[in-house]
Amino acid sequence: MAKTAFKHSDCRNFIPIDVAKGICGLTNQNILIDTQVCPKFKEVAKCKNCSNFKDPDEKMIGRCVGFNDDYWAYGDLKGVLCEKYQAK
Amino acid sequence: MVKKLADILEEKGINVSFQYGGKAPDEIVDREIKKEPHPRVKKLKDQYLNTLSSASMEFPYWYSRKFMELDGEVPEIRRAAALKHAFSHITPTIWPGELLVGGKTYHYRGSFPMPWESEGYFMAKEDELYQNALESGSASAGELSKFGSGGGNVTESFGEVTSIAGKFGMRNEDIPALIKCAREWVGKSVDDRSLKYQKMVPEYDIKEKLMRSVVCMFDSGFTLPLGREVINYYYPLQYGFGGLIDIAREKIAEVAGEAGGDGIIGMDRLYFYQAVILVLEGIQTWIRNYADEARRLAEGCQDAQQKKEYLEIAEIMDWISTNQPRTFREALQLTYLIHIATLNEDAISGMSPGRLGQVLYPWFEQDIEAGRITEDEVLELLECHRTKMTCIDCFASTGVVGGVLSGNTFNNLSLGGLTKDGEPACNRLEMLILESGITNQCSQPTLSVLYDEKLPEEFLLKAIECNKTGTGYPAWMNNQGGIQFILQQYGAEGMTLEEARAFAIGGCLETSPGSWHELTLNGKKYTVPGGAGQPTSVGVHFIGNPKVLELVLFNGYDHRTGEQVLPPHNKKLETYEELVDTFKEYYELVVDVLCKCNNIQHDIWRKQNMSIFHSLCKPDCLAKGHHIGDMGIRYNATYNVESCGTINQINSLVALKKLVYDEKKYSLEDIKDAILNNFGFKTAEEVGSYSLASQEKVEGVDKYDQIHSDCLMAPKYGNDDPYADAVLKDYEDWFCAMCRDFESLYAKPLYACQISVSTHGPQGAATLASADGRLAGTTYADGSMSAYPGTDREGPYALFSSATCWDQTQSQNSQMNLKVHPNATKGMEGSKKLLELTRAYMRRGGFHIQYNIVDSKVLKEAQKAPEEYRELLVRVAGFTQYWVEIGKQIQDEVIARTEYEAV
Repeated sequence: MAKTAFKHSDCRNFIPIDVAKGICGLTNQNILIDTQVCPKFKEVAKCKNCSNFKDPDEKMIGRCVGFNDDYWAYGDLKGVLCEKYQAK
Repeated sequence: MVKKLADILEEKGINVSFQYGGKAPDEIVDREIKKEPHPRVKKLKDQYLNTLSSASMEFPYWYSRKFMELDGEVPEIRRAAALKHAFSHITPTIWPGELLVGGKTYHYRGSFPMPWESEGYFMAKEDELYQNALESGSASAGELSKFGSGGGNVTESFGEVTSIAGKFGMRNEDIPALIKCAREWVGKSVDDRSLKYQKMVPEYDIKEKLMRSVVCMFDSGFTLPLGREVINYYYPLQYGFGGLIDIAREKIAEVAGEAGGDGIIGMDRLYFYQAVILVLEGIQTWIRNYADEARRLAEGCQDAQQKKEYLEIAEIMDWISTNQPRTFREALQLTYLIHIATLNEDAISGMSPGRLGQVLYPWFEQDIEAGRITEDEVLELLECHRTKMTCIDCFASTGVVGGVLSGNTFNNLSLGGLTKDGEPACNRLEMLILESGITNQCSQPTLSVLYDEKLPEEFLLKAIECNKTGTGYPAWMNNQGGIQFILQQYGAEGMTLEEARAFAIGGCLETSPGSWHELTLNGKKYTVPGGAGQPTSVGVHFIGNPKVLELVLFNGYDHRTGEQVLPPHNKKLETYEELVDTFKEYYELVVDVLCKCNNIQHDIWRKQNMSIFHSLCKPDCLAKGHHIGDMGIRYNATYNVESCGTINQINSLVALKKLVYDEKKYSLEDIKDAILNNFGFKTAEEVGSYSLASQEKVEGVDKYDQIHSDCLMAPKYGNDDPYADAVLKDYEDWFCAMCRDFESLYAKPLYACQISVSTHGPQGAATLASADGRLAGTTYADGSMSAYPGTDREGPYALFSSATCWDQTQSQNSQMNLKVHPNATKGMEGSKKLLELTRAYMRRGGFHIQYNIVDSKVLKEAQKAPEEYRELLVRVAGFTQYWVEIGKQIQDEVIARTEYEAV
């Protein structure tokens, strides 16, 4: 599960449809999440890209130190609306 | 040679074509009415048809995080703050071409688990879920594409996707978060907490056995604690969310520190109003996030038209996040968002829009008059609305979402009925709603006509035209019958005739109380309806009537599970009266145990998982300062007892009466022996089919042929036969009265609810053969008034006579499904015949009828090649569903229903 390669759902231009696919906002074409990303890939905010995400385990469960509650977080959680997101 | 029941019956000269009124032509006959939606809607609908049911962890994560942080806070505040946090963090997605935006999650057909309701399923499946997620490798594009087409159910894990409950797909990256989150709720969820206290019910052990033997289908308190009710859109439509926050602030100033004469919960008003503010702020943020997203998309958009539409969306979302909507489009968008917000607050199926066409009429009327919109543009918006509503998924366990709901969400939109003053309530907008049901055929919202003699012919024939699409909607409900039931059930809570006229259908066909509200738009006053009751179809659900009779015959012992489910009655059942009395005694025991346990579940739910947003939308929670769980709502006597398999139980009693007690042709032991040996047939599971005619004989076992033949030929319900109908009437009179002897947690009497939804499949599967000749594991008759397939041999009017031999206004509902060949309703003449048929049933006092206007051969073909029938819709029992998304048990049952060749 702790894969580091980028997938389409890691891209800001990706419009998700379901767990397998979405639409590329640049081409308006349907694309499968788990296929190779293109050179125009633009990283979307997710915990795994955030400097407040600490000590992830092999399942990408780590700690969030952005808030005061010392709560857990998971790498693939979207951070687009997170008040404490800070890109690494 | 394998001998099927159909062959055996044919040898006996019994018609096995399951057709009445002629013979269907050999070639397949298509449905008569076919239209297409607007191009943009077609595209969005096609996208839906290729979308997988997708679950994610974003909402549960943010909810749980805030909830855990606020340990020790006042329960209402803790819950509201958690909801605010979750709503504020839903990542907005806007799909190209949409005019209406928003969704439960960032997926097109998204949903999410609520471990605060119940986490046990995920804990039980922890290893399996992890294993799936860990073992998957990188998948090929071809493999993934394969799963991207066809029905949206993710029945198996694939690639980086794990299947949950055979229905929802979740990304493997989310699975560890699901497990981690679920673990936090162990011992704290409504399920776990209520279990602790349910065990203090002296008969709890019986409850467990009832669930294992599938005498009862599911617990409602932690699976679907709300729903099967009618939503109320009025308050946000009148005041806007900003206005509601102002009202809550004023109320806080009034009630802070004041008991208001109520020494028990008077002080709680302060917390409720503060909770209202928190939740509304979260919902405002959620809506504004869509406005921001629309602006972001517009910035990078090269297509001028699409860019303009994104900017319009941004403006609309900004406005309605605070204010009363100005236009029809804004009002429709707001009602949709209210709907989704309600569904995100709790696990819900059957949150019905109610009489939406009457609620939105003020905006429609003023926009049309001012030339701000055309009817064609309204139609396009209504088509968009249908697609958005069809995208709604309800996350629940396999047994609930599959076994009970068939994956449906029951967003039932009611049409017609009467106004507060008793005039026809249908309007031009409702005609367009019907038209959108024709042009954009999809499962939601399903439609129901509240049939009243006063409704104009033009409106009724439009509804019939919609029926002829073959989608199964609209269903027809008896308006006067519904009003009588509502007056009777809610009279003690102040229901008047005027207010009873505001009722609408929640869920499948749950008659639900409503209220009238004065709405002002640009200085003009209107009276609009809305839901005013607690959830229905909560309480005791579903009881398999044939299974209870089986337990009577076998002294409380379930041969399938090998358990003594009910205490032995040790009676010899020497007379028919003793048999029936024992059935009633067992049934009452079952209801008593289930009622007590469910009351505890719902009590825990209201204490720790109370509804805030949904409460503030319904009268009189805002006025009283109390949420639904504290009876802030106007009508509270909504809990009920839901039965299933009535007709098989009745037919079985009739057969026993005739063959054992009246004619004495067989002893009860002979019948029991035949039942235990399935009349010499294989089980349905072995055969792989769940309809009666397809069942196969065990080779060389002929011992039970005669007794089986006699059981099959015994009088059957649905033929205007007084012998059979007397048994039904006796049962219904007792059942409807008996339910009122039990009390919900709100200290109100229960009542009868008689719909099967999909439970006639799994409950049939758990039931041995029955004395009516039905074989082990086969599906019960659907609904409660539908005849068992092939047994209604005297035509629809005879069926109607049987169905109305009892007073249907004593029950929340009854359910009658008819399958009609398209040739029988062809042209205007066919339409009028179908309307007359409907009228005939309503005039006799029938509460509900719905039609599958389809050639059975189409269904058989679709079962063989489902990939070619992705868009095929059928009516099951109170809902319309995509054929490919319903289970085989129910598919077999729909195919087997008697097909009327003439009406």
